[in-house]
Amino acid sequence: MTAWVVVILAGIATFAMRFSFIALFGRVDVPPTMERALRYVAPAVLAAITLPAILAPGAVFDPWNAFLPAAIVGGLAAWRTKSIGAAILVGLPALWLLTWLIDSVLA
Amino acid sequence: MDPTTRPATFTDGMKAVSPLILGIAPFGLIFGVTAIASNVNHWAAWASSFIVFAGASQIAIVDVLDGGGAAVVALLTAIVINARHLMYSADMGRYTASDRWRSKVPMAYLLTDQAYLVTAHRFPSPLERNGFLPFYFGAGVSLWTTWQISTSAGMVLGAAIPESWSLGFAIPLTFMALLVLAIKDKPGLTAAIVGGSVAVMGVGLPYSLGLLVGAAAGVVAGMASERWFA
Repeated sequence: MTAWVVVILAGIATFAMRFSFIALFGRVDVPPTMERALRYVAPAVLAAITLPAILAPGAVFDPWNAFLPAAIVGGLAAWRTKSIGAAILVGLPALWLLTWLIDSVLA
Repeated sequence: MDPTTRPATFTDGMKAVSPLILGIAPFGLIFGVTAIASNVNHWAAWASSFIVFAGASQIAIVDVLDGGGAAVVALLTAIVINARHLMYSADMGRYTASDRWRSKVPMAYLLTDQAYLVTAHRFPSPLERNGFLPFYFGAGVSLWTTWQISTSAGMVLGAAIPESWSLGFAIPLTFMALLVLAIKDKPGLTAAIVGGSVAVMGVGLPYSLGLLVGAAAGVVAGMASERWFA
């Protein structure tokens, strides 16, 4: 039930943002301050999602977990190739290798 | 005829996005696989592909709700992630001023990063829009169809993938990749470092609020840092 409400409201809000300036006949420009703020929304929110997931998995700060190096490797792959798919194709095997090493070599 | 002088067609739009389809399809599969592995209502997650139709925000909704975050935080996170569409809408609005509402409404619904990028590339000026609508809809409909098929396929396949593959890690990896691609200059990097650090410090906050506090801090830091890097 909760998920349905979130999905429907997010759908309405997303459509409203997509339609906003198209509906205004293109005669209204984006206010300059809003344009500046919007430039930083993507890096800020994406980092706010990503960094806790890899630095504090399970909501506890832990910089010595296997996710962190695997995510860095995946991030480098994305940076070199400009592709999201590459991050997954490189990052997931990196995680498998790291967890295998930790389990079998260090244990 | 010279391809730059003849009117663009629906097929031209489809061709222009075809290289990007290669990046969209795996992303859609991952969304489907992770949605089916989560404890979020599977039908709602599936329906988000055509109700919201914006990949990163759909993944974020599933991620926040699956982690026990509040519905309001999931919704606000999705809105913040999708705020960039305001910029695309403003730019596309310059092209569509004279179009009918029955074109503008589906145009807005199909407005994505990829549809915007290929259209803005093909039509650098609103004064030269020969075949603009067919081209845009060719790109938009291809992307929409790819997204529906790949997310549905991911949900069907996902149930068969064992837990030990850690496919859930594909979510942070996807966001890591989106983050790397979103950092274009030093103020952008500042926004990411501050936003990420504040969010890490706020992991103990209830309802996943640390995410929104971090995002807000990052935007302010990015804007404030412009003068240092100017």
